[in-house]
Amino acid sequence: MQAFLAILRYDLGQLARSWLVRIWVVLLVAPALFLTVVASSENELASETLGAYLGAVLAPLSGVAIAVITAAAVSGESGIIADSILSRSVTRSEYLWAKIASRIGVTLALYFAIVIPLIYLVTRYAVNDVSAGGTLVGVLMVASLLGFLAALGITLSTLMRNVLMAVLVLLLALVSSGVILQFLGLTWLSTTAVLNDLPDTFRGDTGAWDSVRVLLLFPMMSVLALFAAMWTFRQKDL
Amino acid sequence: MLVVETNDLTKIYDNRYIALNALTLNVEKGMVFGLVGPNGAGKSTTFRILLGLQKATAGTASVLGEPMSAERADLRRRIGFLPTNPKFPRNLTPIQYLEFVGAISGLPADRAKVQLARLLQAVDLTGAASQRIEGFSTGMLTRLGIAASLMNDPELLILDEPTSGLDPSGRKQTIELIRELSGRDRTIIIATHILGDVERVCTDVGIISAGRMIYTGPMTEMRRLARHGTVSVEIEGNTTAFEQQVHTLDEIGSLAWERLGSEFRITFLGAEPLPNYVQRVLGLVDRTGVELLHIRTGADEIEEAFLRRLEEDRTRGFLRAAAWAATQELRPGDAPEAPGESETPSESETVDAGVSGDPAV
Repeated sequence: MQAFLAILRYDLGQLARSWLVRIWVVLLVAPALFLTVVASSENELASETLGAYLGAVLAPLSGVAIAVITAAAVSGESGIIADSILSRSVTRSEYLWAKIASRIGVTLALYFAIVIPLIYLVTRYAVNDVSAGGTLVGVLMVASLLGFLAALGITLSTLMRNVLMAVLVLLLALVSSGVILQFLGLTWLSTTAVLNDLPDTFRGDTGAWDSVRVLLLFPMMSVLALFAAMWTFRQKDL
Repeated sequence: MLVVETNDLTKIYDNRYIALNALTLNVEKGMVFGLVGPNGAGKSTTFRILLGLQKATAGTASVLGEPMSAERADLRRRIGFLPTNPKFPRNLTPIQYLEFVGAISGLPADRAKVQLARLLQAVDLTGAASQRIEGFSTGMLTRLGIAASLMNDPELLILDEPTSGLDPSGRKQTIELIRELSGRDRTIIIATHILGDVERVCTDVGIISAGRMIYTGPMTEMRRLARHGTVSVEIEGNTTAFEQQVHTLDEIGSLAWERLGSEFRITFLGAEPLPNYVQRVLGLVDRTGVELLHIRTGADEIEEAFLRRLEEDRTRGFLRAAAWAATQELRPGDAPEAPGESETPSESETVDAGVSGDPAV
């Protein structure tokens, strides 16, 4: 447990020092403030404003940032892992769980830290047409999408030694998933479909089953991806 | 008590490259064991398996009496490791890094602070304690690696090329440090291809070549081997007469010699005591009337012995293959597979056993 906490603290420190994370925060906060001001002055609907921010700003920007910070989680320190960490009294499980907790934790903490104040501001200053339940479901759906992307990124970082290649593969998978899911008749599972439906979800106009299946499936796929990462990492020669 | 024990340790990467070939290594408690071999011989792979960083394809590896695996953090807590050209988190300072090592080693924070201060002083990095690691020279990185390997006060210390990339003073300092660390129930294994380092600090030595242990024994035995049979004389005067009669010093086929300017290096291949050979050479000096400037036994000593072992091992390759094929009970006419191609070539050890630990073979 002590090793897990030490690695978690170390990794959080690395992320806090990362320029990518700092730029990511700025790029998320500035448009959020701008949209709040516009929605307030133009009497925009809160559901549309939140949907536009999450779908057009937060999701694409965070997609790229999460891809980089998670795909680099393990592969980014391939030399250091063996020399400085796993040659000491640390198990691979402790190391990887610490990485998972740190990277997914930062992703979700950052998301909630931006979205919760934004919801408060938008519903207070724009035209409030959202329902409490719909907002909760919408926020959790985006969180589950981001969590899944982060889990997939960590899995790829245990499989690939090259960070750039892992990032490219993850982004390519993300972009091509829409086409593949449409071909399989699972359009509702695509990120585009989930994000496009967000205004309806915030208003509480989406069917319960449509929301529940997304809220169940993405976390389940995340857990599977993380177990795959753990299995791969435990077999790997360092 | 055996601190490190490997039996038929074999590592084959992707069914393409044999890094370790039925390696058998035994290191007893308190030894300073030098693992010597050319680059690519399998030294680092052996260490990585001993630390649970890599899995053996076949064979077993035990450390401190227990089998090692990736999840044996408890065993690694008792081991210190310095890799070749160690890599560290670059944006940390030595203090932050050693604190981190202390934390993952399970040391209480206050004890880790005391330990890191003591170690930074011992490796002469106190002045650089507040600098980021990214600005460190190779020597400083190695010294930091030594400090990190000692944070948990290990029973077994594994040093992979500890003097690689160091300038002469850094090298001397590191050797002195290793010498200080030996004893006190601590076992040290040093991998290197710098034979001078081994000679200075090791009590025992193992020669590894192409993933196999081709010799193990005490350092004193290695020194004896190095000197055995070789007499070098530097002469002046009628050197031609001396050169013409060198072959008479022993029976045909029992002698090899070479001339390097005024120096003759004569190697006797027989099993007589060295003083007999020296006596004969001095007799020839007397008979030919040359002036003796210098005489010594042994040549480049350890290096010479090391190279001789490697050469002997190469020439015995066919014998090993034949022995391996015989133990496989191949029918006459069947092509014997090279021993390294087997996943479990324990049979090759049958031949090795004669070489390992038996310097006379």
